[in-house]
Amino acid sequence: MTQLTYDQIDQTILDSLNPPKKSYWGIVAILLLGVLIGAASWVYQIFVGIGVGGQNNPVAWGTYLINFVFWVGIAHSGTLISAILHLFRAGWRNPIARASETMTVFAVCIAGLFPFIHLGRVWMVHYMLPIPTQRLLWPNFVSPLMFDVIAISTYLIVSSLFWYTGLLPDLAVMRDRSTGTRHKIFKFLSLGWTGAHEQWRHYSRGYLFFAALATPLVISVHSVVSWDFALGITPGWHTTIFAPYFVAGAIHSGLAMVMILMIPLRKIFNYQKFITQDVLENVAKTIVFTGLIVGFAYVTEYFIAWYSQNIVEIESFRWRATGEYRWGFFIMVLFNTLFPMLFIFKKIRRTIPLLFGICLLVNVGMWFERFVIIVGGVAHGFSPHAWGLYAPTLVEYGIMLGSFCLFFFLFILFVKHLPSISMTEMKETIGKGALDHRA
Amino acid sequence: MGLFTNEDQVVCTVGALKKSVYQFHRVNSSFFSHKIMAALKLKKSVVGWFTLAGGVIGFFSGFFLAIYTSVQWNLIVGGKPIVAFVPFIIVGFEATILFAVFGNAIGLLTQARIPSYKWLKNYDPRCSGKHFGVLASCKPGQVDELKNFFQRQGGEIREFDDHRQAKPPSWQG
Repeated sequence: MTQLTYDQIDQTILDSLNPPKKSYWGIVAILLLGVLIGAASWVYQIFVGIGVGGQNNPVAWGTYLINFVFWVGIAHSGTLISAILHLFRAGWRNPIARASETMTVFAVCIAGLFPFIHLGRVWMVHYMLPIPTQRLLWPNFVSPLMFDVIAISTYLIVSSLFWYTGLLPDLAVMRDRSTGTRHKIFKFLSLGWTGAHEQWRHYSRGYLFFAALATPLVISVHSVVSWDFALGITPGWHTTIFAPYFVAGAIHSGLAMVMILMIPLRKIFNYQKFITQDVLENVAKTIVFTGLIVGFAYVTEYFIAWYSQNIVEIESFRWRATGEYRWGFFIMVLFNTLFPMLFIFKKIRRTIPLLFGICLLVNVGMWFERFVIIVGGVAHGFSPHAWGLYAPTLVEYGIMLGSFCLFFFLFILFVKHLPSISMTEMKETIGKGALDHRA
Repeated sequence: MGLFTNEDQVVCTVGALKKSVYQFHRVNSSFFSHKIMAALKLKKSVVGWFTLAGGVIGFFSGFFLAIYTSVQWNLIVGGKPIVAFVPFIIVGFEATILFAVFGNAIGLLTQARIPSYKWLKNYDPRCSGKHFGVLASCKPGQVDELKNFFQRQGGEIREFDDHRQAKPPSWQG
């Protein structure tokens, strides 16, 4: 067992901010290229029209909405790890909380782009804002789409403030160890933080309230996203299970994304002493738990379809498993519920490549879950004459590629410019002796 | 300022300082220490009241916004009444959280008195690393005694000339 010192914590984390190698800039350039492809695809769509996407009757909601739900889902685990586990005083969340919060902020920003993209005429976005206009039109808050506007905006603001508040003491550390322009920037950003006891007295209280407020918010936001679907009468959507089902799925995919980000970070920056095998194992155990909830939701959907004896509902779910998109359905079931159950075995939980690989599959599976729900619902609705299929176009693939590249682009810039592990929380952890530091 | 590397030393020093003739000003630390906070016997922060006030304002603002916009553009949607309270709960809930967070942030900023760079006066940058700083002041003739006091407690010494700056900044300057 190795006990870390305060100096080691500072040094290891600050070393991650040293000028990067050329290979780093190579990766940044590749990701930027992906972002530009996405941006170019969107610009093309704005000029030519929304018809360049594959969405059409009956599938009017395609990859834009799939990606929106996917990224909102990814955003959820940041708050789960940071806020909920903070309230439960789970010491193992400290090494991964900062990166998870950052993941949340970036994922919400990217999720927020998709309704804009899906609008087509993006310059009309102000129609959704409750502002006085000459037309005397106001948004109607009875619509679940307006719930989304207010919920996602709130989530973005709250998660950004939560992230910045957590970062404040670390910005002061960077201010005290930098010179020149960097010092000026960090001096400005740290707001004069010195860690005086009067500051800590209010900070600890304020941070606790942030966590307490973020917890119900995170549950409400994905519930609201689920109601975009559940409040419609489309078969396969109109069900009361959607809110908890979506929240569990969001946490499931978010935890998997945390692993995808943390495992390379741990290797590249020598964070093995902070992000220990035990920390990764705890995340893996939580994935087993969320995977079971998601699996239970899948089974419940089928049970309710059968138990209701509603022929439209039965047909909708029969088609999901046997229709044209059955491959998506089986990817969803296998990747989200069966593969994560492999984490029950300790040997698999403690094998890093397997952890990484299974988490990657979970994210693929969660993307397909949204595909199956969104496309599967509207493609095979009430009227057989209105059934139809959907395939994304190149423009949609370009925008999707751009969104993934933007996420990793922002994250890779973050890890080289700001501390990706909270120095303050790590010091507090060893101060309390709460974390077992087996490397 | 006495600079210590151990929380327990700080706790002893704070206790001894409070009983001494020297004026204790503050402890600087790089993380929230429960031991030090317990030794300082501080009152509970009032940030929560700001949070509560924000939440109450947000709750009513959310409902007000939803009702006001519905009444202004009174279109019946899906057979629901113009002022439909059930869907407006969502707007009210989100606004409650949003404004409570704003209240919390305002409370934190005003109570912790940031942003203010006056905190950086009489501050040693080592306090954001492995050291804990205990700042105290004394009369001009007692400087050596105070230094000896800190040394006896096991601390390193950092001397600041202007003890008046040791007070926390306030918005009034």
